[in-house]
Amino acid sequence: MLDELLAPKYVGWLIDGFYVTLLLSALASAAATALGLLLCLARLAPTRWIAWPALAWLSLFRNTPLLVQLFFWYFGFSALLPQEVVVWLNAPHHWHLAFFGVRWPPFEYLAGFVGLTLFTAAFIAEEFRAGVRGVPAGQTVAARALGLRPWQVWRHVVIPQALRISLPPLLGQYMNAVKNSSLTMAIGLAELSYASRQVETETFKTFQAFGIATLLYIGTVAVIELAGQWLQRRNPTVGAAAR
Amino acid sequence: MDFSVITNNLSYFLLGAWPHGPLGGAALTLVLSVCSALASGVLGLVFGVALAMTHGAAHQALVLFLGFFRAIPVLMLIFWTYFLLPIVFGFNVPGVGTVIVALSLIGGSYLAHSVYAGIRSLPPGQWQAAAALGLGRVQALRYVILPQALPIMLPSFLNQWIALIKDSSLAYVIGVGELSFVATQVSNREMVYPTEIFLFVALLYFLICSSLELGAGAIARRYGTAAKPT
Repeated sequence: MLDELLAPKYVGWLIDGFYVTLLLSALASAAATALGLLLCLARLAPTRWIAWPALAWLSLFRNTPLLVQLFFWYFGFSALLPQEVVVWLNAPHHWHLAFFGVRWPPFEYLAGFVGLTLFTAAFIAEEFRAGVRGVPAGQTVAARALGLRPWQVWRHVVIPQALRISLPPLLGQYMNAVKNSSLTMAIGLAELSYASRQVETETFKTFQAFGIATLLYIGTVAVIELAGQWLQRRNPTVGAAAR
Repeated sequence: MDFSVITNNLSYFLLGAWPHGPLGGAALTLVLSVCSALASGVLGLVFGVALAMTHGAAHQALVLFLGFFRAIPVLMLIFWTYFLLPIVFGFNVPGVGTVIVALSLIGGSYLAHSVYAGIRSLPPGQWQAAAALGLGRVQALRYVILPQALPIMLPSFLNQWIALIKDSSLAYVIGVGELSFVATQVSNREMVYPTEIFLFVALLYFLICSSLELGAGAIARRYGTAAKPT
């Protein structure tokens, strides 16, 4: 069982899957960070007309399983769209941007990206909120006393410090995004877990197929962990609450 | 939107084929969650205490062991348990058991660190005072440390259990008939109402998880510790 290696073809499948996992989780993490910051600001808005819908949105996305959310975007949401839109989304499109040819991704990639982004953003928003709470109130008061307008206080004083405080938990959410991207296999996205399952069915070399996939996941998570430690060593204020 | 698909299949969503067949749907989700919540709680306590009581190489080895379960996706661990449990035990383990084992290991390894942090958060004077009273380390843990540390840990336990309920949906991948699986079954059979079905299923999960979250918040306020989102 252990002494047989996988044929190069199957290792290739796993590498392709790993590439999709990395690409999907990187794109979703980037989009979720931007959206999470917006959601956090909305949640902290002084008017309840913005703060309460944001609270409801966050709690809805945090308290339902990612798998069900992915099913909703893949099966449920497309059923709500007009027929022409669905046809367009499913059809291949090509664009040429400067030197790159951009290919329109298949629908499961879109649904996977949207699902993973919205789910991750809800968690990132809460990490940012904890970061904002870690900025002492005196900072805001002092900035106001210096004559900064409220939005300038946010832009130049609160957000930079909150980002620094919330960097370690943010990296934790990026690790979660890598791990959670595995669920997109349920809507047929050919990422690493999907590939390992496929190799396993094809070769019956379960140990090797799952083993390589597991090592690739652990390696990715370890790289993010080391990056966080490196950032903290280089700049000790990262992750520390301001004084 | 036509929600008659929900009312027509309501008992299937909530109970699966029961009482004429195996229990499934939301009821099975609850069974999976409660079993793995209990088992992960026990594992978390055992490993957390072990983290607090070990030093040096043994401690590092334990940290690495627990780190493994925290680094791999739940889905991958379900694949592993699905494949390895029959080899280890020598007989076919039902899917429900497989999922409970996987979820308990993941939940337990996260909780171990909460338990460890809770024990470490007490001032060292507590250990010293217990030693001065003639208690051994185990007795000190049992009668002095844990009674104070457990209320501090309670919010992280509840948050972890919320995560477990959501993760139990992954039982879908090995064909265990819990709520998510039943949802896709009904969706595939009816073909025309996927939006209504997945909205309804999301609502069920939301009700279960958010009521636990409210409970966690109330407990956190009572004991004056902030619940950290997981």
